[in-house]
Amino acid sequence: MAIKFTIQGLLIYAAMAEYLLAFVVMLSRQRKAGHNFFLTGFLLGCIALAYRWVEVRHIPLQNLFEVFLCLGVVVYPISVFCNRVLRVGGVTADMLIGVIVLFPAGFVFSAEPQQLPPALQTWLFGPHVFVYMLSYVLMTKAAVQAVIQWTGREMTGELLSPEDATYRMICAGFPLLTLGLVLGSIWGQNAWGDWWGWDPKELWSLASWLVYVGYFHFRYMFGKRFPRINSLWAVIGLVAIIITLLWVNLSRLFPGLHNYAM
Amino acid sequence: MQSAGLKNGLRRVALWAGLILILLLIVFSIYGAFIGAESAKRFFNSIPMSVYWVAFSVLLISAIVLFKRLLCFRGLFLIHLGCIIIFAGGIIGSQAGFRLQDKLFKTDTIRTGQMIINEGTTERAVELGDGVIKMLSFAIKLVDFKIEYYQPGQLTIRTQNGEGFKIAAEPGQKYVLGDDLGSVEIVRRFEYFKLTREEDKRIAFEDPNGGPNPALEVLLKKSDGSETIRYVFERFPGHARPDDNLQFSYNRLVKDFLSDVEVVKGNKVVTRKNIEVNKPLHYGGYLFYQQGYDSDTSRYTVLGVTSDKGLGIVFLGYILLCAGVFWHFWLRHIFGDREIED
Repeated sequence: MAIKFTIQGLLIYAAMAEYLLAFVVMLSRQRKAGHNFFLTGFLLGCIALAYRWVEVRHIPLQNLFEVFLCLGVVVYPISVFCNRVLRVGGVTADMLIGVIVLFPAGFVFSAEPQQLPPALQTWLFGPHVFVYMLSYVLMTKAAVQAVIQWTGREMTGELLSPEDATYRMICAGFPLLTLGLVLGSIWGQNAWGDWWGWDPKELWSLASWLVYVGYFHFRYMFGKRFPRINSLWAVIGLVAIIITLLWVNLSRLFPGLHNYAM
Repeated sequence: MQSAGLKNGLRRVALWAGLILILLLIVFSIYGAFIGAESAKRFFNSIPMSVYWVAFSVLLISAIVLFKRLLCFRGLFLIHLGCIIIFAGGIIGSQAGFRLQDKLFKTDTIRTGQMIINEGTTERAVELGDGVIKMLSFAIKLVDFKIEYYQPGQLTIRTQNGEGFKIAAEPGQKYVLGDDLGSVEIVRRFEYFKLTREEDKRIAFEDPNGGPNPALEVLLKKSDGSETIRYVFERFPGHARPDDNLQFSYNRLVKDFLSDVEVVKGNKVVTRKNIEVNKPLHYGGYLFYQQGYDSDTSRYTVLGVTSDKGLGIVFLGYILLCAGVFWHFWLRHIFGDREIED
């Protein structure tokens, strides 16, 4: 763990501070001020991402530093969209998610610029990683709603109940998760001559996808009769996603084609 | 009444079977991730797993027959049909699928292998994984093989106490290492380094006939004013003289490797293409992709060869699956066509 005394690092810390401030202010029920801090954090995150893009001269989604920076940026638009269009709450939690996902970019992963190896030089690189990032944030929101459902708290106003919100978030994220898997498979065919290589990261991605497939089947079979089990599927899905994103790349247990993404 | 009851019972069985098969596949995938790609490939192609894949496919087909809901919801229908088609493509392109097709249709298609082709030569032989060699009905000629590097590369200097410095490997670059260590300056960059001796002097020069030997000429200036020249070779990283207190490495990252190939059939060139990573050649039912190269002299290329059998079917399945999920979960809500409400 190291502090980054660079413009890039300072921008990330400023964005984190704004997100944290937004979270604290929201807890004290000052919604307007909270939203303003959240928006400022997002803008600072955008500048950090743009700065990185210019610095490395390719779409900044190559390694875990860039991926977490991207996650910290997409949290805001997804949160606003889910709140205003999909009627899913959890905006306060989204601010905390923003801080959590920016933390590894700010303190854990190296920000040393890297050049793209031949395998990553394809038009599929950006869309494949980006749709996964969007789906991961949506599935994280689903898991947050699932945990709220476990606590028994109900939403106020026009917002959906936690059980319905979990379902809606998974419905929003699942197509992107599917597209990420399919784009990765097409990429594998072009780069390594095989549309499915049984690589650990591929298998964990498949496991994550299947957890949500299982969720849909279980919810179809039992509806809302077992809401806690429905929520359990969503939480297990997030655990599988975290393993896919982090453990597969960081652990020596899973050597494979995706090891460059450190 | 009895047939309706039977159908309901069958639906219940199908749903439970589907859920169990999904759970099993989650467990198998996690197990496969722990045992590594090669072992996982063998595991998922084993006979018990073949039974599993067939069972899953049969269940998906019966689901379409049993559940009217799947026909009413276009998206759900496309998702399930897409999965069936992906399974079908996967089975056709699998090792077991190839063995069966060879038996049934008396074919002898190469499923997967590799070709090693020297620059300027033509090759038909494909080495299969188990050492067997099979011939293609056409030949591949390697016209030229090129490796491109990111410029300018990097000179890494490591001191005896573990301190490290990184400098862009460009002539004219200077770097002060500290009061004790002095400074370094990159004087020249070589692609085909060679050294000759004239009288008492060592003279470095470019010699393309000797093959590639990337190197840097580095001038070391100590704080006492003494100057020495060091040559740093990309192929001998960390090389140091016994009296050196600094260790040098010269690294360049590969940007791309390209095989300029011609497909020759009956003494005629039928097509020509630059094969690169992510840009394979598709010809005669096979895909030729850039798998490796001769890292010493860059005189030969290694092309991976895979049959395209089942590939089109898998990609069709992908299109249906994606169309289904986006329609069912997103688009039908936007376009107001809610079919039957959940």
